[in-house]
Amino acid sequence: MGEAAFPTLALLVLLPVAGALVISAVPRRHEGLIFPLSVALSATPLAVALYVLWEFETGEAGFQFNQQVSWFEPWGVSWNVEIDGISLLLVVLTAVLFPLSLLASASIRKNIKMYMIAMLVLETGLFGAFLSLDLLVFFVFFELTLIPMYLLIGMWGSGRRVYAAIKFVLYTALGSGILLAGIIFLAVAGADQLGGITFDYRQLVNLDLSSGTQTWLFLAFGVAFAIKVPLFPFHTWLPDAHTEAPTAASVLLAGVLLKLGTYGLLRFNLGLFPDATVRLAPWLAGLAVIGIIYGAVVAIAQPDVKRLVAYSSVSHLGFIVLGIFALTSQSLQGGVLQMVNHGLTTGALFLLIGMLYDRRHTREIADYGGLARVMPLFAAFFLFTAFASIGLPGLNGFIGEFKILLGSYVTLPGHAIVAAFGVILAAVYLLWAYERMFTGPVSNPENEGLNDLSGREIAIIVPIAILIVFLGIYPKPALDRIEPSVELILDRIELVTDHQIPAPGRIVDVAGMEAGE
Amino acid sequence: MGNLSFLAIGPEIILFAAALVVLIGHVGFGWGPRAWAGISAAAFVAATGLSWLQWLRVDDLGGGALYYSFDEIDTVVLPMVVMDHFSAFAGMLIFVVTGLALAAGWNLVRSFESRGAEFVALVLISVTGMHLMASSANLIMLFIGLETASISLYIVAGFDREHRNSDEAAMKYFLTGSFASAVFIYGVALAFAAFGSTSLYGANSIEEGWPLVGGRILENPGVMLAAVAFIIVGLGFKVSAAPFHQWAPDVYQGAPGGAVGLMASGVKVEGFAAMARIFAGAMDVPELREDWSSALAAIAALSIVVGTALAIAQTDFKRMLAYSGVAHAGFILTSVVAGVEGVPAMWFYLATYAFQLVGAFTIAAVVSGPRGGASAIKEYSGLYERAPILAGSLAVLMMAMAGFPITAGFVGKIGVFQAAAANGYLWLVVLGVVAAAAGLFFYLRVIVVMFFEPVAAEAPGTARAPLQAPRITLTVILVTVAVTVLFGLVPWPLLNWVQWAVPL
Repeated sequence: MGEAAFPTLALLVLLPVAGALVISAVPRRHEGLIFPLSVALSATPLAVALYVLWEFETGEAGFQFNQQVSWFEPWGVSWNVEIDGISLLLVVLTAVLFPLSLLASASIRKNIKMYMIAMLVLETGLFGAFLSLDLLVFFVFFELTLIPMYLLIGMWGSGRRVYAAIKFVLYTALGSGILLAGIIFLAVAGADQLGGITFDYRQLVNLDLSSGTQTWLFLAFGVAFAIKVPLFPFHTWLPDAHTEAPTAASVLLAGVLLKLGTYGLLRFNLGLFPDATVRLAPWLAGLAVIGIIYGAVVAIAQPDVKRLVAYSSVSHLGFIVLGIFALTSQSLQGGVLQMVNHGLTTGALFLLIGMLYDRRHTREIADYGGLARVMPLFAAFFLFTAFASIGLPGLNGFIGEFKILLGSYVTLPGHAIVAAFGVILAAVYLLWAYERMFTGPVSNPENEGLNDLSGREIAIIVPIAILIVFLGIYPKPALDRIEPSVELILDRIELVTDHQIPAPGRIVDVAGMEAGE
Repeated sequence: MGNLSFLAIGPEIILFAAALVVLIGHVGFGWGPRAWAGISAAAFVAATGLSWLQWLRVDDLGGGALYYSFDEIDTVVLPMVVMDHFSAFAGMLIFVVTGLALAAGWNLVRSFESRGAEFVALVLISVTGMHLMASSANLIMLFIGLETASISLYIVAGFDREHRNSDEAAMKYFLTGSFASAVFIYGVALAFAAFGSTSLYGANSIEEGWPLVGGRILENPGVMLAAVAFIIVGLGFKVSAAPFHQWAPDVYQGAPGGAVGLMASGVKVEGFAAMARIFAGAMDVPELREDWSSALAAIAALSIVVGTALAIAQTDFKRMLAYSGVAHAGFILTSVVAGVEGVPAMWFYLATYAFQLVGAFTIAAVVSGPRGGASAIKEYSGLYERAPILAGSLAVLMMAMAGFPITAGFVGKIGVFQAAAANGYLWLVVLGVVAAAAGLFFYLRVIVVMFFEPVAAEAPGTARAPLQAPRITLTVILVTVAVTVLFGLVPWPLLNWVQWAVPL
């Protein structure tokens, strides 16, 4: 715990917004500079994130890079940014996806300055939310992500963009309103035990709350995060927002923003309300399983490929939530890893669809057919990403979903069995879409003259492809960092409730014990 | 004890004198708008400075002081004016906000030509009354302040004689306002019957306790409750809390555009200052607290629900702000129910909200003209293209009113909710946050219209041209936006400051 160390994480949070200030100072006559400058500026947090990744103490369960500065004593608010294995991967994912998404925004013409500023502010919001351990500061960043996304969808989106933008904001804001009430109540309720109001996560974790209070607070936090995830039946904002958003916003929405929900469930619901978690976990896992199947089935029926991927997110995020509420070390590790995996694969799918949309300005599957002949490289990348999304062994999606299913089978076998069908359905909707869009003869003459990927587009997609393969064949470095932090949360649940967490790697033993009894 | 202090009523003296100088100078020496501007600006600066001196003087006194109108009448001497951190802070807030609003509406003053002098004088007199309300130690004195402020503003609302809407607004404002005043003074009379005094503070000295809740309290519980109820109703009218809010939309819409910001923000501040002085100050004792606190909580809840629900249905920007102001009155009441502990939260919310109101109504006055009445939200379509700075400013102000983070509106909401939650009004907090989320709908609609929609085709031809605002107006708008963002990012200085601004 290096006190008075260099505030690396604060730098990470503030770099994008500093970049936004630089962009805002670019005069109108040099508008051409904005695009390259923004891409370069968004790469600076990546450098810091990689440094954090490098310096991160693997095997350490607690928080690192601690920095706590009291902001306002009477309210117990402090600037408290710290990182553990869970937030580490999400921060790196965010840092990786932003430069790529900005690079993919070359087709933005209207008001590019404001677009880039919104993007960079969004990045600050995400870093802040993943790193803040002060609940009120977390909430500020959590909300801060809303406005840029609202503008991105509303101003640069397509079709029913205004409707989608408002729906997105209203849904999420309703959830955050309840979250805010929960946060304030938690701090006020904890004031007696902790000797004064505080929003510090690490102090609030030690609260001894009655089981009724825990249930209410769990639900307040849970609704907010469930809307963000989105968990069935709170998902209806997502297809609209994803479909109408500009490419880069879709990538970030699916890639990182949704993870605020799963991250919140894991960090705050599991961390702060262990008793309620144990009692309510099967129900939430049940909703997650419904989401897995529902999202997949609805995805099959979509005529619009972007909407298809949007619904597939409902399904994939269901896996993550199932992993979280199965409450085993395996499933939680899988859940965290799958947050990263989904960010990469779905991000890549949205990027690819965006590239196609830039050429043809349609997302209807029926408008395509036989694209593999005109755009072989594009088709190859699409198929590769689809395989990763389905969970083909050797690619990243497999590891995450396998660990989730393995881990949840121990505690919730029924849930896990039903969820496993989601993997099969994923193959159905993605491969069927691939078949209709890419195989066979070129059915639509308008598609004949399409160019294959440009150098810039290859530069966007290749880094993601490398990460997909890397995490698919060698996930150990990621899992080594996730595992201790996840175990810490589970240990605490075990400590304060009478719930027994099956030990990692003891699946066979557990089965044996049950047989022996 | 020093019974008369010119410092305690210094701001009132200066502002009232300035009003007279403007009037006499205009009539007697033919002074023009430049002179009125100089005199009123000097008066506002001096009054603000005096409030600051009051604050420092209260620091020296170690708490505050009461001042009497007469040195001795037989044996009982009751204080009339109190000088404490509360009144000093109220003074600075009122003078800065109304001063900015008057400056922003200066093109309105000029448009009245020679009648402008009367307008300026009326504003100065009403501001005198506003501060008197915050610094009165006696319900009768408070009533005098209330009437001084209100009567001036009735005339201001109807100042644009050529517009029928302005007449109508003034008439409505006058009728409902006088009704409210009558109810209030009736409440004061009942308070006298219940407590045997209209003083908010002890006879002779602070140490002698609270005469309002003296020995007779338990003998007349019914009369006392009626007194509390009538006072709440009377002040509820002023702050436009539901169900006493019906005048606000018509008055905001009908009054001359350039004066609405001043009226809206000033009246809200004076009304809540009076409420906090009476309830969170004098009546914050165990025997009484339950009664007024639950009544205010009910009004707060009703205001939040009614204001939010009706604001959603509005198509006129000023009416929308009026109804959202009802909801904001509810939010502010959420802190007043917490008693004296809630006063700092009330001040933070009220102070930042007053700036937002001035900013928003000033922008409305630019879009619909300084004398314009109706201001359809449709008129704002494509504002981002016509006037990016105005659109950006209004977007920030809307987000602040919606309570979004990194604006002062967010910090204000956290403060009032925390005060209510800590005092057992969790249900009010839950209602508040849900309503705040629903409120996003109508604030965002303004942003949608400004940023996402093209310039409306059906708008009058002139509306398509780029908007020009006088430099002083634009400056005021930018100041309100700066305050909103600054206290959203770095709220600690103001939060620390208002911790002290509690009633004596």
